[in-house]
Amino acid sequence: MVSAKTTIINPMGMHMRPAQLFVKTITPFGCDVTVIANGREINARSIMNLMAACIKQGTEIEICCNGSNEADCLKAAVALVESGLGE
Amino acid sequence: MTLHGVGASAGIGIGTAVCVREQNLDYTSVPFSGAEQEKARLRAAADLFTQRTQAMADDITNRLGEAEAAILTGQIMMLEDPFMLSQMEEAIDAGKCAEEALDTVCQTFIAMFSGVEDELMRQRAADIGDIRTRMLGILLHAESVDLAALPEGTVLVVHDLTPSMTVSLSKEHVCAILTEVGGQTSHSAILARALEVPAVLGVPGLLDAVQDGMTVAVDGTEGAALLCPDEATLAAFQARRDKWLEERALLQVYRDRDTRTADGRHVDLYANIGSVADAKAAAEAGAEGIGLFRTEFLFMDRTALPDEEEQYQAYAQVSDLMAGKEVIIRTLDVGGDKGIAYLEMEREENPFLGHRAIRYCLDRPDLYRVQLRALLRAGARHGNIKIMLPLVSGVEEVRGARALLEECKTQLSAEGLAFDPHISLGIMVETPAAALIADLLAREAGFFSIGTNDLTQYTIAVDRGNAKVEKLYTCYHPAVLRSIRSVIAAGKAAGIPVGMCGEAAADPRMIPLLLAFGLDEFSVSPSSILAARKQIADWNGPDALRTAEQAMALDTAAQVSDFLAQASASL
Repeated sequence: MVSAKTTIINPMGMHMRPAQLFVKTITPFGCDVTVIANGREINARSIMNLMAACIKQGTEIEICCNGSNEADCLKAAVALVESGLGE
Repeated sequence: MTLHGVGASAGIGIGTAVCVREQNLDYTSVPFSGAEQEKARLRAAADLFTQRTQAMADDITNRLGEAEAAILTGQIMMLEDPFMLSQMEEAIDAGKCAEEALDTVCQTFIAMFSGVEDELMRQRAADIGDIRTRMLGILLHAESVDLAALPEGTVLVVHDLTPSMTVSLSKEHVCAILTEVGGQTSHSAILARALEVPAVLGVPGLLDAVQDGMTVAVDGTEGAALLCPDEATLAAFQARRDKWLEERALLQVYRDRDTRTADGRHVDLYANIGSVADAKAAAEAGAEGIGLFRTEFLFMDRTALPDEEEQYQAYAQVSDLMAGKEVIIRTLDVGGDKGIAYLEMEREENPFLGHRAIRYCLDRPDLYRVQLRALLRAGARHGNIKIMLPLVSGVEEVRGARALLEECKTQLSAEGLAFDPHISLGIMVETPAAALIADLLAREAGFFSIGTNDLTQYTIAVDRGNAKVEKLYTCYHPAVLRSIRSVIAAGKAAGIPVGMCGEAAADPRMIPLLLAFGLDEFSVSPSSILAARKQIADWNGPDALRTAEQAMALDTAAQVSDFLAQASASL
């Protein structure tokens, strides 16, 4: 398992569009992805759980990838969050 | 017959009614045909849902852009969510048919999203409700009217407009929308305004009154719908529709322009909003800031006070949406006439003269501090938030609020939380007392915003809800005009900005007077932004001054109104 910490910088946080983009980005890698935010562990392949967690701008999150292509998946996920999740 | 509701999207539409009646989605008689069979049905229905929704999304992307289609692509991902699907399959394994499995899981998610503190995220509950209805429709073969294939000139009549309905209808074919439920800030209202289709929402008994094929004339500005109007009425409506379409086309050139008078003086043109979602509409409409953010929505339709974090999130979201632009947030404006049950406010003999707004808040520092702290913290993000006190009648109230604000700053510093130490504290000028002592208040307040609706009512001592006296209610009354003039003058003398957030700020007759008096900021509803920008651009300083001088020399409200109507018509 690999993991990294990063911070949500886009103004709207993990809303419909950013969450869609996040799930679409990580799904092809095939590994399990967990996001830890505000003390909660979220299965990041689930857009419902990701949105329901109400992750805001400025929140520090930890992304954990476990399984095939985990290093590449983590790299892509962190880069996406750092680029502002498409906003 | 005329039906009344909330005018949620302005404009006039005339057409033929197409009613979408509640589908029968009762699945109690559906037998369980074995887990594998039910899962296959569910999968097939989900595939069809995805296929259709993707086709709708592609169409929307072409017509309106990718951002508008995000609701639909989001719905596909929500239904395809492995977490959601696995819960449905578990329910099927437990012996439920596909319909019941879908319904149970959707209801769980609706409850979950309805409970989150983020206002925009709560709208996801409507999306899941939409997924539920359409999936049940597919499973039960009880499908609804195909909204993408409506004939031209349709007045769409529905119980509630779901997100998928709103995006799948084309504004070339739908000329107006009527619903039984929904209000000014509902998801449907926002989408209808984005499509620029006139809409009247929240019409009780709508589907009983309207039949398919009826001619319906809809006034989305006034919130009225005429069923089977006679020929003369229809002709009058048609003329108004033509005028509306023509004006709307002419206004488009003002969308990305700076707000300037004909001789080049800039004034700020801001928007009045009542929710976070409204801020988006305001930004899209070209508002240069928010002149009035009513915070009551945070407190209504619930059972307990919103905590500091929830309030902070709402203020922060609007601050972010308007980043770089000013956002004036009015603190809680409630009284005995507005029902917030959990505040246990007493019924009063004269609620408009009673324990309300700033009076109530200063007596409840426990509750007021929460709001002030949330505002101070949200102000730290972009430094663009200003705090506005409602219904001020004396200097003590400003001092009282400032003392509380300073107390909150000290607390926040001690707790090490970020806040805006320079946040501006201003007041609504909406009582005759405040108008008469505007010079004294200007020494205490960071800015003024004139609330013409209440100022008119209190100055003339008239209840505009009382049909016998409502004709006395007019902002053209010389007493109201003198008040406005002296408040602006007092603000200018003290060097503080003066705005106006009442309906008068968007009134074409009032605009020359307000320009002549030196108003700095006009705050209007998002849908009035372009029209107000045009009217301001039509006037130059000397003409406005001359018009104001003549108007102020007249004796009666009727004379002033007629004179100003002529003056603006002769431009």
